[in-house]
Amino acid sequence: MLDRKILKEIDVTTILLMVAISITGIIFVYSAIYYQGSQYVWKQITWLLLCLVVLLISLMIDYKLYLSISLPLYIFMNLLLLGLLIFGKKIANTRSWIVLGPFQVQPSELTKLVVILVLARIFSEYKEDLMSLKAFLLSTLVVALPATLTALQPDLGTALTYLPILVSTYILAGIKKKHLAVILIAMLVIGLVGWNYGLKDYQKQRIETLLTPDQDPRGAGYQLRQSKIAIGSGGLTGKGYRKGTQSQLRFLPARHTDFIMAVMAEEVGFLGLIIVFSLYFLLLYRLFSSAWVSADRAGVYLAFLAAMLIGCQFLINVMMLVGLFPITGIPVPLISYGGSSLLTSFLACSLAINVRMRRFSFI
Amino acid sequence: MSRIYEDLTVLIKRSKIILYILGAIFLLVLASYWKIQVLDHQKYWKMAEANRTRELPLVAPRGLILDRQQVILADNIPSFKLSLVPEAIDNYEKTIDNLSLLLELGEEELRKRIERYKFVSLYQPVVIKDNLKLEEVSLIEARKEEFPELKLEVEPKRNYPLGSTAAHLLGYLQEASADEIKANPDKQWRLGEMVGKSGLEKQYNDYLTGIEGKLVEMVDSRGRPIAEISRTEPLPGKSLVLSIDIDLQKKAEELLQGREGAIVILEPRTGECLALVSSPSFDPNRFITRFSTEEWLSIVNDPGKPLENRAIRGMYSPGSIFKIIMALAGLDQGLITENSTFFCSGALKLYGNVFSCWYQAGHGRRNLAEAIKDSCNVYFYQLGYQMDIDVIANYARKMGLGQKTNLDIPGEKDGLVPSSEWKRKTMGEPWYPGETISVSIGQGPLLVTPIQIACVTASLANRGLSVRPTLIKENRGELIGSRIQLPRETFEKVIEGMWQSVNNHGTGQGAFQAGLDICGKTGSTQLISRKTAEKIAGEEGQVAKTHSWFTGFAPRENPEIVVTVLVEYGGLGGQTAAPIAGQIFKAYRDKYVRPENIKGN
Repeated sequence: MLDRKILKEIDVTTILLMVAISITGIIFVYSAIYYQGSQYVWKQITWLLLCLVVLLISLMIDYKLYLSISLPLYIFMNLLLLGLLIFGKKIANTRSWIVLGPFQVQPSELTKLVVILVLARIFSEYKEDLMSLKAFLLSTLVVALPATLTALQPDLGTALTYLPILVSTYILAGIKKKHLAVILIAMLVIGLVGWNYGLKDYQKQRIETLLTPDQDPRGAGYQLRQSKIAIGSGGLTGKGYRKGTQSQLRFLPARHTDFIMAVMAEEVGFLGLIIVFSLYFLLLYRLFSSAWVSADRAGVYLAFLAAMLIGCQFLINVMMLVGLFPITGIPVPLISYGGSSLLTSFLACSLAINVRMRRFSFI
Repeated sequence: MSRIYEDLTVLIKRSKIILYILGAIFLLVLASYWKIQVLDHQKYWKMAEANRTRELPLVAPRGLILDRQQVILADNIPSFKLSLVPEAIDNYEKTIDNLSLLLELGEEELRKRIERYKFVSLYQPVVIKDNLKLEEVSLIEARKEEFPELKLEVEPKRNYPLGSTAAHLLGYLQEASADEIKANPDKQWRLGEMVGKSGLEKQYNDYLTGIEGKLVEMVDSRGRPIAEISRTEPLPGKSLVLSIDIDLQKKAEELLQGREGAIVILEPRTGECLALVSSPSFDPNRFITRFSTEEWLSIVNDPGKPLENRAIRGMYSPGSIFKIIMALAGLDQGLITENSTFFCSGALKLYGNVFSCWYQAGHGRRNLAEAIKDSCNVYFYQLGYQMDIDVIANYARKMGLGQKTNLDIPGEKDGLVPSSEWKRKTMGEPWYPGETISVSIGQGPLLVTPIQIACVTASLANRGLSVRPTLIKENRGELIGSRIQLPRETFEKVIEGMWQSVNNHGTGQGAFQAGLDICGKTGSTQLISRKTAEKIAGEEGQVAKTHSWFTGFAPRENPEIVVTVLVEYGGLGGQTAAPIAGQIFKAYRDKYVRPENIKGN
């Protein structure tokens, strides 16, 4: 049962950082789309409150329990993804949404958490310094299956966010050089085949755009160009809240989701961004430190993978806005508009908090 | 108790290295933002300045509204509107000064107009004046360079070529208010969009509204268009063909000229309304502006209440019209037959009160048809004396009173059919039998609307088949109502009385038209007691008049038209309403009945 002592160990700092970042997000979601009415903001606030409740509830339960049910959960989520592929309704050209009343939920987001649980479970008893072939193949398969199902929706952006989980696992569990070589060659082959057969034209263009952004300003390079103009014209101190011409004049695409950081950069400038980046790094540090104090091996994996999930997604997004990464539909965890993404981020952090809470386990 | 930790040093060491790497990437990313935001700021600033497009909605013309013979009742004409782009203003105070001179608009008013839109983006043009006259347009065109913040546009404006004709049923447009936009997020109304606020324009707003187009243009930093980027043409709204016959509508309006009242003309078989008149009327063209405070107030505050659609919202006592329903109820309950008679001596004493007939000398012995013909009160007092109020209420509801007829324009009133339960609920008192006597001649708390009376008459004309009235031609909705469960002969017996009323020197003889077998019933509603009326008449030297009713249909067999007339303060039904109905029947006959079909021709 839940011990009073454990309850006292709830990591308030992490929760405060999460809420602060989320509220910053809502403030700029409002700036990005207030002319469409305030319903988006209210919806996101509702999601935030809901996420807080879910967070607290999820902390009541020992993370070891999650680990013990991770395999059935994993099977269920994959079946759900498969079911979506077959029976799902197309929304915005992908079959990635389940509609639940007023909310739309993206199972591919939540699956990432289940993948983390399964990986932690696999490695909880694994005491070798480097992964054996079996462990290497198993962990690769665990990540590749839902990632492939997501890529087929087709939601390449979300599928891509599975990759950091896999890479992080390799690093933490230790990968043998020959395995690393195999995986690099495999990715090269998949990349080449994918480029020639798998990728849609617009996806290819986005990658080409990365190499030559100014070639076609109104075409594929448009989004990157507008995003860079927004960020660059923001300058050191920004144009002021709700005064960014790039966002208010609607040059920026997906202003409240994938490009929300560009809206921020334009309106509060480089100095404002430093604050947001710092908050983010503090949060990541806090999540990492949860891994360091963990009582067991599984806890290290959980906290570390959760931190990497959030951290990499944030970095990919901010790199994408300035052309350091191809433009893919990846929201900024905790900041972008969208309930599923917020819920996933909250639950990911809750895993780390859970691990820290129960660091003094008694046998 | 001992704590046993696993050896996790390798894992922790690895994760620490990763955190350092992440930190380094954070710094690298920040460095690249520094490069773009601070070092290259000037370059991007210029690009942002040069890079401004503006999205402008292209208003779709609303669908036309046509009468049953395709006469245009509502169309669209081009109209100029002047907008201000707040972002392009250099000096707000100076702009306000200059504009108020140029447009002959008070500064206060101008500020108010701009304020209305203050929660919209700075780059969205704000409409500050519409329906500009040509002189004003040329004045502004000439000063285009001086006022880059002004934007002159043409938009289709709703136009009602017949002015106040049929204004109540057509309705009018006004700008969607901020509250309405919030309340209807699914309709995606734009600020400043004109939407139907009453009548058919409101009821069928979605049908009439087209799909808005979009113009995307490149503008310079002062908001002046440089180039058009893309243009999606608007899709005009669909047209609405009404069941209204505009000739009959005009005729009916003319007959009510200078009076307050309502006329409903409908086809009993289909429920299609040929005319729906409420007088006095108003000119809906005067509302088609975003700024009409003074004119609007003058119409809203007019004591004649021209905006009120009396045909569906006016609640009146039915007066003697109600005797139709009493007769149906009496026959169906087996209390009377067509041959049973009552004696009228001019008054009847019941429950210690004297209830008088309108004909003080008395009608003598009357059977049912004669009682309807002469509208004898005493006959129906006697009938009401034998009936319970709840039984009467039941028949009234069965015929469609006390509930909306569901005509397809918004705002219809229910009317009121009193019952013992109603009285207990609203006044906390039991129903007194004496009140039943008043109700039996259509007085008392009973309230009906003209459209309800027209529908009752249609059910009667159809010998029991009720219809749902409509203003749309060939409406495929559920128009045919239920069949009223009364034997056909019961209706025939009442219709005989109504036929005599018009054709055999009854109270409805004013409606008589040669060659048309008209059946009808008059009604006059007591507004005040006779004593008070005489007192007022004595003091002010004028006659306090009653509301005047007539409802009827023609021809008697296979009826084609129902006419219901209500004239407020029109006096006796036979004096005012019946002759007006007669004129309408005549107009109908002249237009629709071929000469060889006119009886006796």
